[in-house]
Amino acid sequence: MWVFNSIFGKIFEIVFFPFKSMTPWIGMIFISFLTALLMLCVFRFTSHQQGIKQVKNKIKAHLLEIRLFKDSLNVSLRAQGNILRYNLKYIGYSIKPLMVMIIPLILILIQLNLWFGHQSLTPGQEVILKVEVDEDLSLLDTEFLIESSSGLVIETPPLRIEETREVNWKLFAKETGIHELSMTVNGHRIVKKVAVAQKSLNKISPVKVRRNFIDELFHPGEAPLPANHPIKSLEIKYPSNYMSLFGWRIHWLIVYFALSIIFGFALKGVFKVEI
Amino acid sequence: MNRVNRRDFIKFALSSGALLTLGSGSELVTKTLGKSDTHKKVLILGLDGMDPHLLQIWMKQGKLPSFQKLWNQGDFRRLRTSTPPQSPVAWSNFITGMNPGGHGIFDFIHRDPESYMPKFSGAEIKEADKTIRIGNLVLPLSGGEVKLSRKGRAFWQILEDHDIPATVFKMPGNYPPAPTKQRTISGMGTPDLLGFLSHFNYYTTEFAEVKEDIGGGEIHEVYIAENTVEASLPGPVNTFKKDRPDSSIDFKVHIDPFNPVAKIVIQDNEFILKPGEWSGWKRIRFKMIPTQSVNGICMFYLKQIRPEFKLYISPINIDPAAPALPISTPSNYSKELEKRFGPFFTKGLPADTKALDNNVLDDGEFLEQDDFILNERLEMFEHELSRFDSGLLFYYVSSTDQRQHMFWRHIDKKNPIYDPNQAKKYGNTIENIYREMDRMLAKAMEKTDKDTVLIAMSDHGFSPFHRSFNPNTWLYENGYHALINKWRQGREDLFMNTDWSKTKAYALGLNGLYINQKGREGEGTVNPGVEKEALVREIIQNLESFRDPQTGENPVLKAYATKDVYQGSQMDKAPDIIIGYNQGYRVSWSAPLGRIPKNILEDNREKWSGDHCMAPEVVPGILVTNQKINIDSPALFDLTPTILQIFNIKKTEGMIGKSIF
Repeated sequence: MWVFNSIFGKIFEIVFFPFKSMTPWIGMIFISFLTALLMLCVFRFTSHQQGIKQVKNKIKAHLLEIRLFKDSLNVSLRAQGNILRYNLKYIGYSIKPLMVMIIPLILILIQLNLWFGHQSLTPGQEVILKVEVDEDLSLLDTEFLIESSSGLVIETPPLRIEETREVNWKLFAKETGIHELSMTVNGHRIVKKVAVAQKSLNKISPVKVRRNFIDELFHPGEAPLPANHPIKSLEIKYPSNYMSLFGWRIHWLIVYFALSIIFGFALKGVFKVEI
Repeated sequence: MNRVNRRDFIKFALSSGALLTLGSGSELVTKTLGKSDTHKKVLILGLDGMDPHLLQIWMKQGKLPSFQKLWNQGDFRRLRTSTPPQSPVAWSNFITGMNPGGHGIFDFIHRDPESYMPKFSGAEIKEADKTIRIGNLVLPLSGGEVKLSRKGRAFWQILEDHDIPATVFKMPGNYPPAPTKQRTISGMGTPDLLGFLSHFNYYTTEFAEVKEDIGGGEIHEVYIAENTVEASLPGPVNTFKKDRPDSSIDFKVHIDPFNPVAKIVIQDNEFILKPGEWSGWKRIRFKMIPTQSVNGICMFYLKQIRPEFKLYISPINIDPAAPALPISTPSNYSKELEKRFGPFFTKGLPADTKALDNNVLDDGEFLEQDDFILNERLEMFEHELSRFDSGLLFYYVSSTDQRQHMFWRHIDKKNPIYDPNQAKKYGNTIENIYREMDRMLAKAMEKTDKDTVLIAMSDHGFSPFHRSFNPNTWLYENGYHALINKWRQGREDLFMNTDWSKTKAYALGLNGLYINQKGREGEGTVNPGVEKEALVREIIQNLESFRDPQTGENPVLKAYATKDVYQGSQMDKAPDIIIGYNQGYRVSWSAPLGRIPKNILEDNREKWSGDHCMAPEVVPGILVTNQKINIDSPALFDLTPTILQIFNIKKTEGMIGKSIF
């Protein structure tokens, strides 16, 4: 899984490389544009284009029927029934391209969450490091040796919470940069990266997980820990990120879907795609 | 009369947070008035409680070079304060150019003459007229309303009429903010999210610390189970539910079994604190019904983990990013500030003096909190100063007042709880805040050009508070006030034990004394006219001649018949007598809400050790300006026509002062 994640991640790094110093909106617009192109291609080659065209025409015709025969209840009701029928047929024609798109789209969303989902830390900011450990590991008897590079200060001793099987520390971001945090537990050493206000658009990996297909799928930002590692995951609790539009804070997913749909509709004529 | 305790009175007097959320719409862009550039500019620093005596001492010692420089450039005077010298009254004099007879703010507390029940003087709360009940839910069909009680127009409203821009930052006694398109944010009088003037929460495992009604906060007993404390943070009254229950948020504190560190988890917030550490602002949301919630901000302070767990949570301030109550004009101004500076203190007087008084915070912890407030104010001052290029900027600081209230005991060896060791540690606190204000003034002076009138002013000065006076007990012992049961004396607030049919006079608020007048009070006994006039003169004479058996001094320096000292349209609401206490004396803690303790005089053993609710002659304010002052004894209400005159505007009807330049 890591090989796939690292290759797929590299593609996104290349895509976003020119936009790193710009406002995240530019990167978002660009990736939404690419997504729209991808969706149009998938739709064109996997959907029944002729069928879609026909059902859309039928729906239009029945809508016209309702307007023309608005005085006739019978005709209107029959037309509405037909509209419903053709709508269902239209949905049926869309299922295949949607099924084809769903997996790449999930993979794209997971990658985009690394770029848009979290704010990097700023100097002077505090953050929690949360380490989830194996059931077999004794929280009280295990020594957690933790070190950080100079731009990051470990502010507290370990806080061990038996209820959730986790150990927490408070970190203080002192300087900008990609800092390294190393932890040794029972002779196993782990390194976790911590991002402190680099550029406007940063790839931020909040969680490093143990080797496991599902966990790796959803946390592809860093190489996983070995499957038998006593630590299940390391997480930096970065603040959530929002896109700002005229003072409104909007979740990046909403912006992404809205822009992708807008680009999709704008370009469907150019690519002669019936959607 | 319903039985209402002190706590209920305070809460219901101001609570409305949940209800008003329906009415607070958001605006996309901050509205600003179309403003003309003015040739003249006015910059006013409102330094609450700055005392002329202390100012002169430290100026003479060279500790306040900016104040000295400003005096040398222009002038310095003791500024006549209001009668009584309480902040809401004094600042209202300044805002309107009237005295209380005109603006109608006579005290922190007024009374309903019909029921004798106390009311907050600053604002009136009106709940939604029409509601609809669906099962357990009560849905308002219209928004509630908070109405400013002060009468008369504020000077920035008059400036607005003449297209002169003004920014008025945290003006006391301006909650809710007077309607205007000028940039204003409300100050003293702005409640916390629960509707209290201040209400902290304190969680402790130490049983001895748990007290029922401490005033200004709540102490919760908690337990540690499996290294976890589970507790609940009380929120505003849920007016959307039939029984109006208090809303609340559950939270957990995880404690390490050995290390001195704890993690607090409350809603989306997770943060780690060490003992003696503050959390910074945390945003929380009280859910009322699925579509309605109320946002607040608060700070956590982990006092101690072991041997006893102690956690303080500050009063929950109204969130400036999503205010549940009106705190600024235009409404986007608070959001604009929040966007620039992050969450900030919105409660009127943000320092938690009650937590210090109740030993929940110690001197050092209180100062840490007040430093947050001061630093925030100074940062925002620089921002406002940097964009001040026309019209008027008024900027208010509360730390001068709050620190003198709480730390006077460290500079006053006669104070009943003076402690030389603590005095050594905190004896410079008041001097330090004066020096800080000097640095602030220096920044203001840097911005001042030849066309800028710079004024540093305070609403009143300060005086020691050694002994407290119970005016109702004095009235009772002198035959002016009657009790239903003598054995119940001192046990109840709100005149619950008063026999009104035999009572001639009663005291309510910090300085007010009312005659129980027929036709005005619900159960009046004294005829208006000659009988009342004679009684007023008699009480004044007896009050002024009363001596403290312990010190031989007169607790009351001067009592004023309000008809002699007030003018204006609001005279019918005024107390009949204002008690002006002598230096070292003030009304007791229990008297303002109608309690009648057993002793007329008591030692003040509270940390609240400096005060100003005395006779106005005892506590004048300061007036330092870069212009020559042409009158000998300027008063607060003189500054209002002065501001208008600088912009060539004539003073309006009802203003009683005259320009000082």
